[in-house]
Amino acid sequence: MSNFFIDLVSHTDEARREFETSSKVLDIVANGLSLERYRGLLLELYHVVWHFNPTCAAAASRIGDEHRHVRYFLYDHMNEEKGHEEWVLNDLEVMGVSGDRARAYQPTLTVLGLNGYNYWSADRRHPCSVLGMIYALEVVASVYGGQMTAAISDSLMLQGDRGISFISSHATMDAEHMADLRVLLNQIDDEAAKDAVIESTTFNFHQFGRVLESI
Amino acid sequence: MNNHVSTLVPSALSRPYRYVKLDWNADYSMLTVRMAVRPIQCYSLAAMSELQQVFNDIGGNPGLVRHFVMASDVEGVFNFGGDLSLFVLLVRARDLDSLRLYARRCIDLVWWWENAAHLGVHTTALMQGDTLGGGLESALLHHTVICERSAQAGFPEVLFNLFPGMGGWNLCIRRGGYMVANDAILSGQVFTADQLFRRGLVDILVEDGQAQAALEQMVRAMEPRFRGTMAALQARRIAAPITHESLLTIVDHWAVTAMSLTTRDMRLMERLARAQVRKVGGASGGAIEAIKRMELDTAWGFEKTGFSEWSTLT
Repeated sequence: MSNFFIDLVSHTDEARREFETSSKVLDIVANGLSLERYRGLLLELYHVVWHFNPTCAAAASRIGDEHRHVRYFLYDHMNEEKGHEEWVLNDLEVMGVSGDRARAYQPTLTVLGLNGYNYWSADRRHPCSVLGMIYALEVVASVYGGQMTAAISDSLMLQGDRGISFISSHATMDAEHMADLRVLLNQIDDEAAKDAVIESTTFNFHQFGRVLESI
Repeated sequence: MNNHVSTLVPSALSRPYRYVKLDWNADYSMLTVRMAVRPIQCYSLAAMSELQQVFNDIGGNPGLVRHFVMASDVEGVFNFGGDLSLFVLLVRARDLDSLRLYARRCIDLVWWWENAAHLGVHTTALMQGDTLGGGLESALLHHTVICERSAQAGFPEVLFNLFPGMGGWNLCIRRGGYMVANDAILSGQVFTADQLFRRGLVDILVEDGQAQAALEQMVRAMEPRFRGTMAALQARRIAAPITHESLLTIVDHWAVTAMSLTTRDMRLMERLARAQVRKVGGASGGAIEAIKRMELDTAWGFEKTGFSEWSTLT
């Protein structure tokens, strides 16, 4: 078993901290969001979440048998994530945005770039790169999601999980996923796969930071 | 020396650092390292790597640096210590090995500081702002700690069921004795500069804006007796030893303890991280204020008011 998780954390620590210390991210963590900006965040998130499983599926279909454990992990992960876009839609409904409007919403170029990179990387770079997307998004959710949830809930004076079910539940749920992901990543000993995961993680931190800055 | 204009850092020490700023005083062979981890001043992995490189360069050029000074380039904060987000990430990933790796990198730095006298380097910390956890441990490592009046410091770790693991016990005991160490570490209390001085945790207490002048005065006064001072400081290590083995044993215990943090503990840690962010934004409620609220919650919260912020954390 390799110790790739340690290497991944170390090699992408700068990108994680750049995400964490972006002025917009700091502002959200400290002061929450206005209603309009929170709606904007959920609309962008919907289009990220909606493409999450298809990206994983694209990767799973290209992963060779030497990485079959990654493929099985993706099957399970997709099953767990299935339908979570509905949680975003439910939160949007609470915030006064209909499902039809959310589905018809044209995401920003930043989100298109994020989704585009993840499909391209799974297709052309290395299918294991999808693990970088998963790692980055789970770090965002499990490390910063709780703080953001608290700040947004305070700023909008929301009660319980009403209107924040997606980010609130992922803050907790992804903490459990993180441990599973670490075990999987430590089974990767193929250098090309490792490089692809590191690049993907770096890109996803960078681009997700830009998504938050764009709202 | 008050009119000293910093000169070019010697080429043996000069590198394109991102998180540390070096200032060189050729008159006294004094290297000042200003930590500039913005916006949250803490010991991130990258900052620690740069600091380790500075230490390696000093060690690799014996006699070049006689005075090492640690200061902050971030106004109002000396150092908040560990990278809380990284801790949360590794604890949630249940990654004991990586947490140990981070902790042992910290001990590598601690051990350089501890051995600085043997390298002929006198070390001084300029505490000019809020100092928490690992930030306080790193300050206490210096031979001399100069503290400005408005600075506040403490070990909040116990509030979220952890303890300072990177030399905190050893250094507090050495500086203030068992009673002071117990009080500082087990209470989680934040101390004023005056309280730190009275407990012997800092050596020189000055008014705000006077730390640099106090440093220069100290270095000037030490100059004629520098060799004797360094020999005495080496002897102090023998009289009150801190061993590498004890540091490693404690830090391993720290990493194992961190693995048992609950969701509630981590939410408190996140609350502190959020408060550090507020401090960056210039808001009145910074990390120190958040810790004081946590202390109040413990002492008064549920029993007195029937409500505690902690009760909302599951």
